[in-house]
Amino acid sequence: MKNFTKGLWKNHPVFRQLLGMCPSLAVTTSAMNGISMGLAVIFVLFFSSLVVSLIKKIVPHQVRIAVYTVIIATFVTIVDLFLKAQFPEISRALGPYIPLIIVNCIILGRCEAFASKNNLRSSLSDALGMGFGFCWGLFLLGSIREIFGTGSILGIMIMPANYNPLIIMILPAGAFLVLGLLVAVMNKIEE
Amino acid sequence: MKDLILIFISTLLINNLVLSYFLGICPFLGVSGKIESAFGMGMAVTFVMTLATSISWLIYNLILVKFGLFYLEYVVFILVIASLVQIVEMFIRKYSSSLYQSLGIYLPLITTNCAILGSALFMVTRNYKFLEAVVFGFSGGLGFSLVLLIMAGIREELQYVNVPKVFRGASLTLITASLLALIFMGFSGLISS
Amino acid sequence: MKEVIRITSVLTLVCIICGLLLAVVYGLANEKIEINKEKRIEEALTILAPEAINVEELTIETETIYKLSNQKRNLIGYGFIASGQGYQGKIKMLVVTDKLLEYIKGIEVVESLETPGLGAKIQKDPFKNQFRNLSITKDIICIKNDTPKESQIKAITGATVSSRAVVNTLNKRIKRIREILNKN
Repeated sequence: MKNFTKGLWKNHPVFRQLLGMCPSLAVTTSAMNGISMGLAVIFVLFFSSLVVSLIKKIVPHQVRIAVYTVIIATFVTIVDLFLKAQFPEISRALGPYIPLIIVNCIILGRCEAFASKNNLRSSLSDALGMGFGFCWGLFLLGSIREIFGTGSILGIMIMPANYNPLIIMILPAGAFLVLGLLVAVMNKIEE
Repeated sequence: MKDLILIFISTLLINNLVLSYFLGICPFLGVSGKIESAFGMGMAVTFVMTLATSISWLIYNLILVKFGLFYLEYVVFILVIASLVQIVEMFIRKYSSSLYQSLGIYLPLITTNCAILGSALFMVTRNYKFLEAVVFGFSGGLGFSLVLLIMAGIREELQYVNVPKVFRGASLTLITASLLALIFMGFSGLISS
Repeated sequence: MKEVIRITSVLTLVCIICGLLLAVVYGLANEKIEINKEKRIEEALTILAPEAINVEELTIETETIYKLSNQKRNLIGYGFIASGQGYQGKIKMLVVTDKLLEYIKGIEVVESLETPGLGAKIQKDPFKNQFRNLSITKDIICIKNDTPKESQIKAITGATVSSRAVVNTLNKRIKRIREILNKN
């Protein structure tokens, strides 16, 4: 159980470990995009950890990173094909950042640091914890940027009609800013 | 020729891989503390990126496209990158131990540098020809190095400033990056096609 | 030596298994992916040319052109894809013109990676509507200020590059389609 909860807060992949920044900044232009990416990562993280934990005894040490990356790349391709077939709008919205899940340090990081050294059950809880932690982090980031950048959340207008959206929020500069401030907030809370 | 120059300038400044596409953020945050390490990382990344895009282009267009194996794109690219980094590391270790000392630890990190895989993927979606792909890889690496160096310069100066506790570290770096991104947005006026 | 063999064989085995898995998933998903692509174009055609009951897909000189005819089988116009580099990535549009290629009936942006809130506005009605019944006997010109005249459209404030990209892509494409249709 503890393996699951640590990823949600104490050892949060984005706000504490500062991993997986690339997609965190790139796809959080809206809450929906954030959630979609989060779910895709949960899928890849879960199955990669599963496979890595199962085959950890037979993979020679020197080639483990290459093997893990191939496994991760395979599951990412599966997610990509799935989205293109079933949810083409989301696939278009997340664009090139789906394949970039492969080099999302969170996944390789957990495979290397945890799944390759622990039993199946712990590895799976760890994967789910980190995955859901990542997901809510993206949702938070995406929501803030969407609310201030477009006045809506999940497509629903919630700001008053005369709200002049801060376009900068949906641009790269805004992404860095919001994440930087969130990290500061998390630091303050941990104090 | 004009196309190549266009790709070079736009990737270096306007569509900078780090500030516009959020690629290579992990090393951007982690290695930009000192100018020396930033320089070393930048050079290593530029080298690997140029080779990676070139080799990936060859494999993609000469093998994958020919046999319609598009779905193997990601697996093949990441294998190319991981192997390249491994070879580069072995090569440097053998032929220049001083270079290996200074770059050593950063080399394995380049494999997970999203900028490298990202540049290979963009090369495919933008349908570059071979020479364009090479220039793209090269300028992408340079653009990354440029931003890394600027950030290192700023952070070295920031060491002498009293930063509030909650903002220290990654938080301040991210906020600085935000300002850098804003500044680089100004470059988009450079090219009016 | 034994180490090297073991390392290579494990890696190769993993690659083969993954490759096979992907081949299977691809086989299952590919059909749907192709259908999705077609649907997008169909939807766009319905919006732009609702009176085109009959759509005939032609391939002339490697280019795909949709011949649009009404219920009485009279030719009412042509549809084709125009694709070009925008600010952030490729912009793909469906263009519908009259049968003489004298004016655009309308455009629909089918694929775009432009900046949300700025360049992405090319997908919204205010921008797209400028192309309804736009004269194309001359090249389209993108202007920044003043009221657009014939064959002119106004760029989106803050998204000149995306707007210009749309116009340039259209001009190039219309020229090419005109060329093909005149020859055949």
